[in-house]
Amino acid sequence: MAEDIQQKLEKYRTAPFDARFPNQNQTRNCWQNYLDYYRCQKALDAKGVDTAPCDWYKRVYKSLCPLSWVNIPSSPISVSIRIVHECHLLSTFPCVAQIEKWDTQREDGTFPGKI
Amino acid sequence: MAHQAHAYHMVDPSPWPLTGAIAALLMTSGLAVWFHFHSTTLMTLGLILLLLTMHQWWRDIIREGTFQGHHTPPVQKGLRYGMILFITSEVFFFLGFFWAFYHSSLAPTPELGGCWPPTGITPLDPFEVPLLNTAVLLASGVTVTWTHHSIMEGERKQAIQSLTLTILLGLYFTALQAMEYYEAPFTIADGVYGSTFFVATGFHGLHVIIGSTFLAVCLLRQIQYHFTSEHHFGFEAAAWYWHFVDVVWLFLYVSIYWWGS
Repeated sequence: MAEDIQQKLEKYRTAPFDARFPNQNQTRNCWQNYLDYYRCQKALDAKGVDTAPCDWYKRVYKSLCPLSWVNIPSSPISVSIRIVHECHLLSTFPCVAQIEKWDTQREDGTFPGKI
Repeated sequence: MAHQAHAYHMVDPSPWPLTGAIAALLMTSGLAVWFHFHSTTLMTLGLILLLLTMHQWWRDIIREGTFQGHHTPPVQKGLRYGMILFITSEVFFFLGFFWAFYHSSLAPTPELGGCWPPTGITPLDPFEVPLLNTAVLLASGVTVTWTHHSIMEGERKQAIQSLTLTILLGLYFTALQAMEYYEAPFTIADGVYGSTFFVATGFHGLHVIIGSTFLAVCLLRQIQYHFTSEHHFGFEAAAWYWHFVDVVWLFLYVSIYWWGS
């Protein structure tokens, strides 16, 4: 099994067709794989087993998910300027909070999904 | 001496449609003034004008029908069609809010945690006060039917008693719901759950109040001998409206309170 996973990971190019999400809107696909990766990590860590198989989900969500949904900005100043600018373009209310970042939310304990 | 050669009612000129339209104008523009200039004067004026219009218009209809005999069978048939069409339009009104609820709850977005109820929302237990509310409204449906049969059979005292009981049950529902609103762990501002819950149940509650008022007017009329055992359409209209309110609650209960928890 582990060899199969390694082979699959080595041959990985992009997210394959997933029959659970056949339509154009792939939001759920991104969300499900993001959840599955962190759930896999949590479950295998708890068992004390190597978490390498979880990397499949990571590859898929990194292929599918919009960066702005997931990533913590690497360079705080320049990226937060861009985010604030995007925020002002999208709404007329004061832009105080950052656009949601799932990684940030997980760290803050405010991630709405169940892991 | 000229008199009409048909059974229909050519209504005398009346100022109430105009005052009603003016009331609508004052209330809507008053709403905008409230939002922008923090003054409720215009809106309150519109509301008072609306209440006066409703009181006088419907009083005039009672005068024309009960005291002047203008509500012949074809006229009554028209009134029946009118009430049915109005209730049908209200059905579509609520259909919109149910659409909104199912749109958001059948495919919950990642922002909600991909689940319904959303993460962080503790819904009300459907088997506590909401179940009592269901029983109260179903019982009131029984008592209003009792009233109808009493009126048709000429049982004056029973009609008054059962109609009073119906209204009391309606008020009990309103009081229970008000308490639930006060005690709820979530507000209208709590995401799409709060929005769909309070807008749908809120408009329902408003309709319960309207229905109770309609029934109360019927009670006063029954006490004052307006209804006969053959002709009591005002009451029938109120009873239809009341059943409609009950049915909407049943859908709300099953969809939002029960399935939605």
